[in-house]
Amino acid sequence: MANSKFMATVSPHLHEKGQTIDRAMRDVLIALTPAALWAIIVFGFNAFLVMLVSIVTAMLTEVVMRWILGRKATLKDLSAVLTGLFLAFLLPVTTPLWVVAIGSFLAVGVAKELFGGLGKNIFNPALFGRVALMISPLWIYTAKFVEPFWWRGIGFFSPIHTSINNAVSGRVIYKTFTGGVVNATTSATPLSLLKSGKMLTNTVTGPTPVGATWLTSNGRPSGWSLFLGLKSGSLGEVSVLLLLVGACYLLYRRTIDWRIPVGVLGGALFIFLITWNHPLYQMLSGGIWLGALYMATDWVSSPVSRRAKWIYAVGIGVFIGLVRLYSPWPEGVAISILIWNVLTLLLDRYVAVPKFGEVKKPLFNRLPAFPKPKPIRVEEKA
Amino acid sequence: MGLTDNIKRALFTRGGVHPPANKLAASVKISDGPNPERVLIPLTQHVGSPCEPLVEKGEKVLVGQKIGDSEAYISAPVHASVSGEVASIAKFTHPSGRDALAVEIISDLEDTPAEGIAPAPDPLGMEPGDIRARVREGGIVGMGGAAFPTHVKLNPPSDKRIELLIVNGAECEPYLSADYRLMVERAQDVLHGARIISRAVGAERIVVAIEQTSPAAISAMRDAAGSGGEEVFTLPAVFPQGAEKTLIKTITGRDVPSGKLPMDVGALVDNVGTCAAVSELFLTGMPLVKRIVTVAGDGVTGRGNLRVKVGTLVRDVIDHCGGLEGGLGQVILGGPMTGLSQYTLDVPVTKATGGIVVLSKESIISEEPGHFTCIRCGRCVRHCPMNLMPYLLGSYSDAGMWEELESVYINDCVECGCCAYICPTKNPLVQLIKVGKEGYSRRKRKMETLKKDKEEKSLEESNA
Repeated sequence: MANSKFMATVSPHLHEKGQTIDRAMRDVLIALTPAALWAIIVFGFNAFLVMLVSIVTAMLTEVVMRWILGRKATLKDLSAVLTGLFLAFLLPVTTPLWVVAIGSFLAVGVAKELFGGLGKNIFNPALFGRVALMISPLWIYTAKFVEPFWWRGIGFFSPIHTSINNAVSGRVIYKTFTGGVVNATTSATPLSLLKSGKMLTNTVTGPTPVGATWLTSNGRPSGWSLFLGLKSGSLGEVSVLLLLVGACYLLYRRTIDWRIPVGVLGGALFIFLITWNHPLYQMLSGGIWLGALYMATDWVSSPVSRRAKWIYAVGIGVFIGLVRLYSPWPEGVAISILIWNVLTLLLDRYVAVPKFGEVKKPLFNRLPAFPKPKPIRVEEKA
Repeated sequence: MGLTDNIKRALFTRGGVHPPANKLAASVKISDGPNPERVLIPLTQHVGSPCEPLVEKGEKVLVGQKIGDSEAYISAPVHASVSGEVASIAKFTHPSGRDALAVEIISDLEDTPAEGIAPAPDPLGMEPGDIRARVREGGIVGMGGAAFPTHVKLNPPSDKRIELLIVNGAECEPYLSADYRLMVERAQDVLHGARIISRAVGAERIVVAIEQTSPAAISAMRDAAGSGGEEVFTLPAVFPQGAEKTLIKTITGRDVPSGKLPMDVGALVDNVGTCAAVSELFLTGMPLVKRIVTVAGDGVTGRGNLRVKVGTLVRDVIDHCGGLEGGLGQVILGGPMTGLSQYTLDVPVTKATGGIVVLSKESIISEEPGHFTCIRCGRCVRHCPMNLMPYLLGSYSDAGMWEELESVYINDCVECGCCAYICPTKNPLVQLIKVGKEGYSRRKRKMETLKKDKEEKSLEESNA
């Protein structure tokens, strides 16, 4: 018997089964599937194209960037697929596919790979891609929303062309199969209705999606339709219900920490309550659930300790409230999370994790401000 | 794992992990181990100074005869576990992986006891000093795995008062069942040993701490305690519940301050195995020459809890249990979470070896490969029983940032392995932390010598 063939490793010799990065990414994809299917149903075949282009570009970018940077290919861990899908979830269905591709490239190529790859990125890549598009000249392509089930009557597979010339006036052109062109104005999202003050007047008109009276109140979507997902908006954010179903699965799989969604939603609700600015409507509109459940809980760009997580989450929630109420933008989820992604670096460094056996539990760490740079030694040549 | 358990764990994890228990040998009664023809008794089987050999090559030795001792305070003598002839005193592979001095004895298979081995007449009436002296001569060390000399623990400084003796029956390591069997079968011995120890330190309260997953042990200890005044405390089942500081926290609610000992909060923790060994020492006079070892795992044919002579080669123990099964996998001395993995079977069982776990090749290969990139999920921080930040410890150590390691409290790490167990990227965090501890202390020593040199230099200059 050859003795030297036993495997010698450092303890622990056991590892938790079924909990790996690949598995976690797969879990998030599974959790997002209901919302993705719903997006296709509500926004037509175009939604599928947006997701497909986003995912394929993300995967291509990852392969090419890692090859250029001389890193090992890690396509198998599905993180690029996930980033691509997330980015698609943040865009309206009217976004031209080439704009989607640019956003996807920025998300994976810049926010992830240039920062050092998975685990090293400061920003949530998908949010970075979205906000990069939002503050670029291409923003006009990503700001046109259509009402749910716009494809009724002209066909599920009808393509959408966002008109460049008429971009300013906000026109979207639907094309039918037979080549007929239908001009339609864009539909306001619930949040832009709030922002423009049209909530209180009764000027909004639009088709009632299913026809049930409880889905609308005075011509605008009711709380129920917001919750179920019969509203205009980005692809993934529309159905709060389906996002919640997916998040329950992730909580069960221990992929996400419940503290972050609770903190984000609580922080935002607090702001809406003290300002009494349509709290229910605000809480059910926009990307707050997508952000709280899936974006803010991103492992890489959120803090690691419990206490820092609470600060981070409540901070995001409060920022969302403030941006929505006191800035020109109707929506503030993406920008709030990105700001707190940066602050995560400070939170992780300075918010103490009181260790076992510490008599005085400190609030802040006594960590050095930043690691001292090592003096570079120049070897003398003999 | 039930659904409710899973939900609870997902929501309220507070340190520790739940590896599958796999207590395969828990239902097997304690039996006698092999009677080896050759034993290797390492002269270092404890924390502290190594022993000097007291015998020479060719000398005849008897069971229980002292063959190694040290002048140092923190040390424990070693005894021959078989009668026979000393074949050599040389360096052999030690379970720690390094070579260490050991006494090789060829047994005459007769087990003739040494002279002067006699029971103590009235152990519970003895003076604390006498108890300590006898425990030291008996070579008793902590049997839970750390192997800290017990007589040192029994001798707290005069300004420290020990109120509480915790008898540690929490066998949180997967596979191991030696302590469990001991409690079920020899509850009286465990309690007797605990009473002797509590007499030595003057502890008023004795608490036997057992995990809730061992109801048989709990009822056995309750029955044995009877009206004796010892309490049985039921612990939640979580790894590392048996770690000293975690145990004290669970039972008393007190944190042992960083860098301090349990005696600083008035507690003393001794393993049930140690208590039984103390009891045996006082009842028969025989020093610590045998210990109970669990043999389990899917890589070994048989399984059981064996009374193995210290110094028996692991090969003999495994052959006694029917030999290896399946491809060559991993042989671990101790539990799979903190045990030492061996590259050869020619290592001796020491006083600290609580188990021999053999995992087959198939079961190791089925483990998912590592990613080795920290993704900052924060699981290690959430599951660390010492509330440290293992991901930082690992990355600082990886980068060779020895000074920064102090700011993340590297010396508070107990190397329980929770972080590496739970890590989704399968980062070898414990390995990195071990390297970090080494690098940190080396760096510290170097800085101290540099400082000393500088002071001497300036002193010389000022003198000149």
